[in-house]
Amino acid sequence: MTTFDFLFQGILIAAQPMNLLYALIGVTLGTAVGVLPGIGPALTVALLLPVTYKLDPGGSLIMFAGIYYGGMYGGSTTSILLNTPGESSSIVTALEGNKMARAGRGGPALATAAIGSFVAGLIATLALAFIAPFVVKLALVFGPREYFALMVLAFVTVSSAFGDSTLRGLTSLFIGFALAIIGIDQLTGQARMSFGIPDLLDGVEVTTLAVAVFAIGESLYIAAQGDQGPDKVEAVKGSVWMTAQDWGRSWKAWLRGTAIGFPIGAMPAGGAEIGTFLSYATEKRLTKHPEEFGNGAIEGVAGPEAANNASAAGTLVPLLTLGLPTTATAAIMLAGFQQYGLQPGPLLFATNPQLVWGLIASLLIANFMLLVLNLPLVGLWVKLLTIPKPWLYAGILLFATLGTIGANPSVFELGMLLAFGLLGYVMRIFGYPIAPVVVGLILGPLAEQQLRRALAISQGDPSVLFTSPVAAVLLFIAALALIVPLILRARGRGQVLSQLAASED
Amino acid sequence: MSQGHTPSTEKRRPDRAALAIAVFLAALAGVIFWDTSRLAKIASYSGIGPATIPFVIASGLLLLAAWTVFEALRGDFPVRERQQVGPVAWIVGGLAAQMLLLKPLGFSIATGLLFALTAAGFGKRKLWFTIPIGVALCLVVWLIFAGLLQLSLPAGPLEHLFW
Amino acid sequence: MKQFFLATILAGALALPAFAADYTIIAPANPGGGWDQTARSIQSVMQSEGISGNVQVQNVPGAGGTIGLAQFASQSAGNANALIVGGYVMVGAILTNKSPVSLNDVTPIARLTGEYEAIVVPADSPLKSFGDLVEALKKDPGAVSWGGGSAGGTDHIAVGLIAKAAGVDPTKINYIAFSGGGEALAAILGSQVTAGISGYGEFESQIKSGTLRLLAVSSAERIAGIDAPTIKEGGLDVVVQNWRMVAAAPGLTPEQTAAVSADIEKLVKSAGWQETLKTKGWADTYLAGDALKEQLAKDVSATETVLKDIGLVQ
Repeated sequence: MTTFDFLFQGILIAAQPMNLLYALIGVTLGTAVGVLPGIGPALTVALLLPVTYKLDPGGSLIMFAGIYYGGMYGGSTTSILLNTPGESSSIVTALEGNKMARAGRGGPALATAAIGSFVAGLIATLALAFIAPFVVKLALVFGPREYFALMVLAFVTVSSAFGDSTLRGLTSLFIGFALAIIGIDQLTGQARMSFGIPDLLDGVEVTTLAVAVFAIGESLYIAAQGDQGPDKVEAVKGSVWMTAQDWGRSWKAWLRGTAIGFPIGAMPAGGAEIGTFLSYATEKRLTKHPEEFGNGAIEGVAGPEAANNASAAGTLVPLLTLGLPTTATAAIMLAGFQQYGLQPGPLLFATNPQLVWGLIASLLIANFMLLVLNLPLVGLWVKLLTIPKPWLYAGILLFATLGTIGANPSVFELGMLLAFGLLGYVMRIFGYPIAPVVVGLILGPLAEQQLRRALAISQGDPSVLFTSPVAAVLLFIAALALIVPLILRARGRGQVLSQLAASED
Repeated sequence: MSQGHTPSTEKRRPDRAALAIAVFLAALAGVIFWDTSRLAKIASYSGIGPATIPFVIASGLLLLAAWTVFEALRGDFPVRERQQVGPVAWIVGGLAAQMLLLKPLGFSIATGLLFALTAAGFGKRKLWFTIPIGVALCLVVWLIFAGLLQLSLPAGPLEHLFW
Repeated sequence: MKQFFLATILAGALALPAFAADYTIIAPANPGGGWDQTARSIQSVMQSEGISGNVQVQNVPGAGGTIGLAQFASQSAGNANALIVGGYVMVGAILTNKSPVSLNDVTPIARLTGEYEAIVVPADSPLKSFGDLVEALKKDPGAVSWGGGSAGGTDHIAVGLIAKAAGVDPTKINYIAFSGGGEALAAILGSQVTAGISGYGEFESQIKSGTLRLLAVSSAERIAGIDAPTIKEGGLDVVVQNWRMVAAAPGLTPEQTAAVSADIEKLVKSAGWQETLKTKGWADTYLAGDALKEQLAKDVSATETVLKDIGLVQ
């Protein structure tokens, strides 16, 4: 049988009414649990995996696919509506998405996230089916020095994309770096900044920091405004649906987000959030409406959300072709696959085609069900904003702490949640951007480790950082992204240039 | 949040709160210097030991502290909204109560209190009304997540009645 | 929101029958890792074999399991329904993190599974045998970079032991620690490092498909079905097993300890457990009672020596 026959057969099985129902239950459960701040896709899948064991293999595989895509998508809803991203990959979504929601455009923001996730999921799943072996070869070219160069690029693009003051943006980023030092140094096993407290040995959990500075910081800040809060939230202004202009601005962002997210998800040390950072920076540079960025630009939601879901499919590339679980979510999925007698590895596509194509067909169906579930719900979700503030924020804090307790029921963790919540509150008062703190915590350790690994392999020779072609290209792009705006601003000529300058500082 | 960049030209006196931030950043840098100076010098083959990057970060923080002082003296920090202390105290109290009561009293009572105190922070001060609602809601949440989905949420006397 | 919860309750109620709580197992790691999988396997087999009505798994991640261990020792003392999963990695972590709580502060019940270390090189590597690798190591230890798991973990310890046995200064090894097996495997496949070391299972499918060359395994004797010499055959007296165990709370009466031990023995002997071992590819290395205590003491002292040799423990 050819590839197409396998896929076609898989879709036929997955499209049976009973299996469609399982897919719907899967995406519903995945979205419902994934929507909670602090419960990321990994914990969602771990929690819900046992539910799938009770079904026959076909049904459980398809429900499982639904849970995975549902869990990946779930975080975007609360990020957009309530500015409370619960996991690292939906932080960027909150930047523009919440501004849109505050301006009464929550509907279009949710819609572009849902449709963008669908488009990205569709393209990326098909890419998984047809070009996985090639993508994985590319991913293996990435060693420590290439990753280091990628991190440098991510830093440059991210730092230029946040905030209206260079000083405050950088300060936020460095606070994130400082938090990232805490814990055992991975390469030498030495404890840093732990002060003998065992709870600090494992460092600051990204979800704890994200939930604290976003959800709790936001709640404190809104409460402190009293009744005369300056930014009165309007639930719906204009249509709940996307206008023709919204579509026109979204579709390219979806495609670009997919193109960025899929390969980054496929890299063994990538991670969904890096794709969303790069996508946001790309959209900001390419947009025809730079003045809207920071005030609710729809491209800033469409691109990163697409990148997020595309990297969810990308993660499956090394998992299925090499048996490499590159994220915590993938590691749990590996355990799930073994339940179906599926041993991921280089021989999988040859020895077990039915199951692989069944999985890919299930992913396609689950992706479709996600859209079916979420588009009609957009109107309902937006109504969340009409809940009176006391109940709404009491509920947000209830679920925000639920996620943290569920992941690690320790008093110390809750103490950190409170401390970082106050940090987020103070930063809001003084106009510091919030996202760079979390970005620093995520990217800081990655960059440090990859740099040190690269130098250890070369026995201390720094020239290796530039001599690999891939690393050199990435560093060159990073240098351009850093220097070009500076030169343009220094010359200070032309319409575009002043706009760029205005968005920089 | 995004109170635009509005340098207040009329008041050019030093911004005390901003100076406090600078002190905080410098203190953070000091803690990093102090802590990493005690690390063993395992440089291995990379030439970069566990203390190198923290040293760079701490130096960056010191520079940022100096820059913050500079902007504070020029009065370049954005105008701030007036903050009400009361609501913040309610919510912080709720979080602290949850943290301390979670183990002895279980998820529902501790988190129900957080719920009620947060609502109080936003103006619903009728605690005799909001606490029962909060506890009941949290119990339902507990039954779903701990009971059915096997998420490990601490159980207390209330939860043991139901499970 | 309400509709969602109703749907959640319904689907949950369909899928999961309710039981009364019997055992709570602490998995001192994040979901997805080996200890978590061990704990969850015990959970499902105990329930399906009727050894225990309800088993809860709780993740207490952090610092090579020492955070979970410390919490377990202090909060579960005297509780015969509490179990913790642990393993060899914990032995090293207790030493490197200077953990105040050690395996002496809990009641070890049984060693359950184990895995031997495999040393591999990419298929196109010029190193054809374990002897070649040792020669290269002796010539210039810095030029041989080893990709493996976290610093001070089983993989790192094994490399230290190999260097020492080969007469190379263990502090001179160029060990590159990666987070999680996946990242290390990618670096090995991409020829970023000279050689890779990790549990055999991590490499199995790559070895079978021929993209990695297996040079040696760390068992005492050749393993059935694995076509590779032992490190011992290569002339170095090194045997390393990455085992996983289950322990009960401190302060139990001898009767309570015996009851828990009996439950675990029932678990290990059950058809469901044997089936689980097969699907997960874990070797059955069940060991209990005094033999376990003896083996533990041996492992602890050997580990302490090698960690001092590498320079991770002063």
